[in-house]
Amino acid sequence: MIYADRSTGVIVTGATGNQGKFHIPFMNAYARQVGGKGIVAGVTPGKGGQEVSGVPVYNSIREALREHDAGAAVVFVPAGAAMDSVMECAYAGIGLIVTITEQIPVHDTMKAIEYARLQGSAVIGPNCPGLLSPGECKLGIIPAQLATRGNVGVVSRSGTLTYEVIHELTRAGIGQSTVVGIGGDPVIGQTFTDVLGQFEGDPETKAVVLIGEVGGSLEEEGAASTDLPLVAYVAGVTAPPEKRMGHAGAIIEGGEGDARSKIRRLDGMGIAVAERPGEIPDLIRGYL
Amino acid sequence: MRLAEYEAKEILKTYGIPVPAGAVIRSPGELGPRLGEFGDEIVLKAQVPVGGRGKAGGIIVTGKGEAVSRAAALFGKEIRGFPVREILAEERLAIGKEYYLSIAVDRSSRQPLVLFAEAGGVEIEAVARERPEAVRRIIVSPLLAEIPPFALRDLLGDLAKDLAPVANRLYRIFREKDAILAEINPLVTTPKGICAADAKIIVDESALARQKLGKGRAKTDREQQAEAHGFSYVDLDGDIGVIGNGAGLTMATIDLIALYGGKAANFLDVGGGADRERVKHAVQLVAGLPSVKVIVLNILGGITRCDEVAKGILEAGIAQKVMVRLAGVNEDEGRALLAGKGYTMFETMDEAVLAAAGAIR
Repeated sequence: MIYADRSTGVIVTGATGNQGKFHIPFMNAYARQVGGKGIVAGVTPGKGGQEVSGVPVYNSIREALREHDAGAAVVFVPAGAAMDSVMECAYAGIGLIVTITEQIPVHDTMKAIEYARLQGSAVIGPNCPGLLSPGECKLGIIPAQLATRGNVGVVSRSGTLTYEVIHELTRAGIGQSTVVGIGGDPVIGQTFTDVLGQFEGDPETKAVVLIGEVGGSLEEEGAASTDLPLVAYVAGVTAPPEKRMGHAGAIIEGGEGDARSKIRRLDGMGIAVAERPGEIPDLIRGYL
Repeated sequence: MRLAEYEAKEILKTYGIPVPAGAVIRSPGELGPRLGEFGDEIVLKAQVPVGGRGKAGGIIVTGKGEAVSRAAALFGKEIRGFPVREILAEERLAIGKEYYLSIAVDRSSRQPLVLFAEAGGVEIEAVARERPEAVRRIIVSPLLAEIPPFALRDLLGDLAKDLAPVANRLYRIFREKDAILAEINPLVTTPKGICAADAKIIVDESALARQKLGKGRAKTDREQQAEAHGFSYVDLDGDIGVIGNGAGLTMATIDLIALYGGKAANFLDVGGGADRERVKHAVQLVAGLPSVKVIVLNILGGITRCDEVAKGILEAGIAQKVMVRLAGVNEDEGRALLAGKGYTMFETMDEAVLAAAGAIR
């Protein structure tokens, strides 16, 4: 597993909002099931002293850290203030900041990610489902019931398409080491390259499924950076140019970032590219 | 969202970057009274949100005498599918040199990327392909409020003295207007000085509210209607309606339809945690497309409840066949609700899409 394990204490920011309130119990139920530390504190400015599903809420990260030990944060703060929360976490020395919030202005994201990088923190997301290491920890909203532990790493720009793939892998009897949703925005913190670098250092991970989509060139850059056995899938082969396909980052711009040219380049690197998600289990089995 | 050229130029002007003398007209009659502002020759530029206007006949150079009739003809045209509703009339510049200057969000470095080339008025991608050495690039930390002088010297070389103020003003526009692209192409020299002959600004869709800009340009009516319901939606040109939850899964569904020889009519992502009302609206919206013969509904519920989805489908009460793939939370309840009501249910997206493609053939 990568980034975090069952001993990682987690702070949720935006804990008292709808998303925070909804997902804290799921994350903590999973932590109890696997014997992990789970969510140790919540943070919402002005709401210190409250509780969400038994988790104490503080006014700031620094206040929370005075009472609890935490190595990671999950950010559910609404778009307008989400990147302020990311910077607060980085300033306080939290090493891993998983940002679920979507529709954050990209200039805010650029600034906060660069700030976090200078502080030595890794940001996953924004606009992502987070991280799940089956049997270890869940930081975010990936439905844990679909996953099972094993030797395949999964890294993806998508949310539900990731669920689809882990669902298919599990049905085929293939477990996952860690599943990372890196986010569907044009600017994201941890890229395919970063996550694949982490997987390289993980003895449990034998092969990785890389799930990309139209827009940018992070898939090709990531694939070129690693020696790990990869199976790739790229969504959006039929996406028309200059149309945003749901995700802010899923857009073919200036003739760049279309799925077919991505697939061609991945193919050229000798990487197995699945034509459909249902093919992924059979292709990855060849590497296990 | 791409701003119209005249809107981009108004912003440039506000920030002190010179632009040609010009006027926006919305009918040929508005041009006559303003002809005195432009000199003997006038450029008429259709304000449509697509590139390659010139080649498609959207830019006309004309003398004063025929200007009004030429404008009338341009108003009657469609440029790459967009009817001409506004024309920017401008003075014709006496152009010396042409340059390219742009600032964009660079996905790979996650930072602003400034591009400059001593070749303007042509597609920068083409210049980059044919003469890569002609395109100079610098990355600027997003934490900096301006481009540092050393970087401007790197970027502009001997031209820094003349062009540095323009570059920094464009950088301020890029930051303050939440642009994902701010481009001047070409930036030209004239006897009167530097001038932005054409400009393109694309504003981040996630920042439209704080920029006080409305949504819905370059979108079809149905796309706007779908947005009002909070769906991500794109019109396509096939006959299989598509509803999914999550952008990636919905895109993959459309690709799968093509792989099995079909063609999707649309992209509709109902979003996470959709309830019966949302599903009902989604189904009715897609069923309302005249081209749609069959619908694929692909839901993998992490937090979306399949029983809610089933109720939404039932309440929509539509004529077309729906191929339903329901998996996840309460999937058995969802399937039970639909059983025996004429819906075909599938365990996997492969099966649902294959059935839809088969139903068309």
